[in-house]
Amino acid sequence: MLARSVKMSLKVQNLRKTFGTKVAVENISFEMTEPGVFGLIGTNGAGKTTTIRMILGIIGADSGSSSWNGKPITREMNFGYMPEERGIYMKTTVLEQLVYFGMLRGMIRHEARSSAIALMERLGVAEYRNVITEKLSKGNQQKIQLISTLIHNPELIFLDEPFSGLDPVNIEMLRKLIYDLVDEGKFIVMSSHQMATVEEYCKNIVILHKGRMILQGNLRQIKSGYGHTNLLVKTEKDISSIAEEAGLRLIEKRADESEYRIDGDEMAGSFLTKLIDAGIYPVKYEIKEPSLSEIFIEKVGAEV
Amino acid sequence: MRQIMTVFAFTFREGIRKKVFIVSTIIMMALLLILTAVPALIQKSETDEPESGAQEPSVTSKVCYYVDENGLIDNAIETLSSKITDTRFEKGDYSKIHEYKETIKTDGNTSLIVVSKDQTGSPFITVTNMDFMSGISSGYAVDVLSDLYIYNTLESRGIDKDTIEFAQSRLSYAEEFAGEMDFSGYLLGIVITMLVFFAVYFYGYGVSMSVATEKTSRVMETLIVSAKPSRILIGKCLGMGALGLFQFIFMIAFGTVCYKFFIPDGFTVFGMELTLSAFTFKSALFTFIYFLLGYMLYSMLNAVSGAFVSKIEDLNSAMMPVMLIELLSFYMGYFSMMSSGSNVLQKITMYVPFSSPFIMPFILLNKDLSDLDLAVSILILVISIVIVTVLSIKVYTASVMRYGKRVRLKDLYKET
Repeated sequence: MLARSVKMSLKVQNLRKTFGTKVAVENISFEMTEPGVFGLIGTNGAGKTTTIRMILGIIGADSGSSSWNGKPITREMNFGYMPEERGIYMKTTVLEQLVYFGMLRGMIRHEARSSAIALMERLGVAEYRNVITEKLSKGNQQKIQLISTLIHNPELIFLDEPFSGLDPVNIEMLRKLIYDLVDEGKFIVMSSHQMATVEEYCKNIVILHKGRMILQGNLRQIKSGYGHTNLLVKTEKDISSIAEEAGLRLIEKRADESEYRIDGDEMAGSFLTKLIDAGIYPVKYEIKEPSLSEIFIEKVGAEV
Repeated sequence: MRQIMTVFAFTFREGIRKKVFIVSTIIMMALLLILTAVPALIQKSETDEPESGAQEPSVTSKVCYYVDENGLIDNAIETLSSKITDTRFEKGDYSKIHEYKETIKTDGNTSLIVVSKDQTGSPFITVTNMDFMSGISSGYAVDVLSDLYIYNTLESRGIDKDTIEFAQSRLSYAEEFAGEMDFSGYLLGIVITMLVFFAVYFYGYGVSMSVATEKTSRVMETLIVSAKPSRILIGKCLGMGALGLFQFIFMIAFGTVCYKFFIPDGFTVFGMELTLSAFTFKSALFTFIYFLLGYMLYSMLNAVSGAFVSKIEDLNSAMMPVMLIELLSFYMGYFSMMSSGSNVLQKITMYVPFSSPFIMPFILLNKDLSDLDLAVSILILVISIVIVTVLSIKVYTASVMRYGKRVRLKDLYKET
């Protein structure tokens, strides 16, 4: 499976979309050449959903193209899509609608049924197979939506804000599922405005703001490019005056630790010396790259 | 094709389980049962009643006072009593006319006949009843008294009895209709036209509601990445159409069974026998075809109406243009049915694709329609369905994923 996946690639080139006079998406391009999770990041209205819809051909692009394995993406291709706003038949039983969605994706009835039941067992909702969907909790309804996305075992998966509205237990379950899918060699494009989520899963990202790309590339490389800019310190004594004296700028003060902005490793070293000189031995002393959230705010702030 | 069949089967299964389908089927069955049972009950009650004239005059609560102060008509009470057996005629007193009228104001079983002189000296008859629904039949009473007066007058002038009776006799007659239309065909035509209209409207509304629900609940976004909008639209329309047809055929079958079981042989309405003789194989087949074609035409338009809305509460206003076309077409057809003979309106409604599904079943049951007329009407309808389907698919595709602002036709054109 993995050997076959290596040859696969998703390529998006110069996608553009306008609604009337409003430019929704302007020249978005990115490429995904290996299995994993690709992050489309942006605030609400940044153009993430429009980009996904254009890639899948749900709405027509004004210009640009998208391809999977070198061919334009069509409905006949093996992809799965979970929209941001969940869309399932509320008055229909769970299994029946999953079989329907599977059959629309080209499966025969018993295949769709077997696949639906297997995924329901995997996500812990097998007991609801004959229940009317509206009787399920919101979290379980989202699982049904996810199963409808995965029922035909797609190679390319688009998840539009998959974590929104999920409780911690379901987040953990979805988190595990995404890792499993990556292990199975799936290509996943995930849109989110939750930076911590993207940071956890995505190797490569595109940051969108008002329809335009303001940053893209490998997340590790992007962060490396910023260098060591943050210092996380946990001590038993108050170190605020020493930090101020050393020229550190407080980013966030938590219950038992503080995070500072530093100009580089030398500054962190000098500060550590001062702490030791003062007889303070940190329990935690971590020199870090900036978080994705900070990068995002910096970039979006610069745009504003 | 497979996707169309998948959507078709899902739509049909979903529709047949819906409460609205089950409830409407039960209501229609109950109505059919009542409609067909009523004639049987009427006939049973009639046969249970004793035949008038064969027995002693029945004791009746109806009373009619007869006042003829000048004695203008001899033997009036006896004659009236023999002709109008359900009423007891009593000689009234002229001085009590006001009193009789006061009684009649509140008593529907009391009547008054006053015979006075007109300007020429001939009898002038005044019949007083409580209202037009009660008392004696004034027309019949006046006929009886007129005949009696003429008889008495001629007899007093020496005309022999046979001559008088001959002069007052009426010729026997029978009424025949040379045209195709008979009462049963006329009644069936109206009933079937209304059924077709309601079925087209009801199931068209179902298509519209289904599309709007899928759009507003965002199921459409899941569907549209799996199947082409055209396949979803066609599958959905066919599914709802099959559901309508299933119910329609079921109702016709149930109605036929009820008819055979309940309607007595030779049952008449207004003296005309109620039969299914107008229902030939040809008329049944083409009624079926027109129902299908009419449904297809309107369901496509209704699907587009459903695709236009972003909120389900906007559906009725979005459907308004299609409903107006449908209502206007139905009434055009209906009015042309009501007008007798061949007329221009009927010709127009036969060929206009929006109205032909409503008028043609009536024409097929009641008129001698040429095969050419039938073929042209169906051809125009089929061509219209093809055009409307192509346009509907375009508009549906463009509008089904548009939310928020009102969708403008200009934007849709750009999208397609």
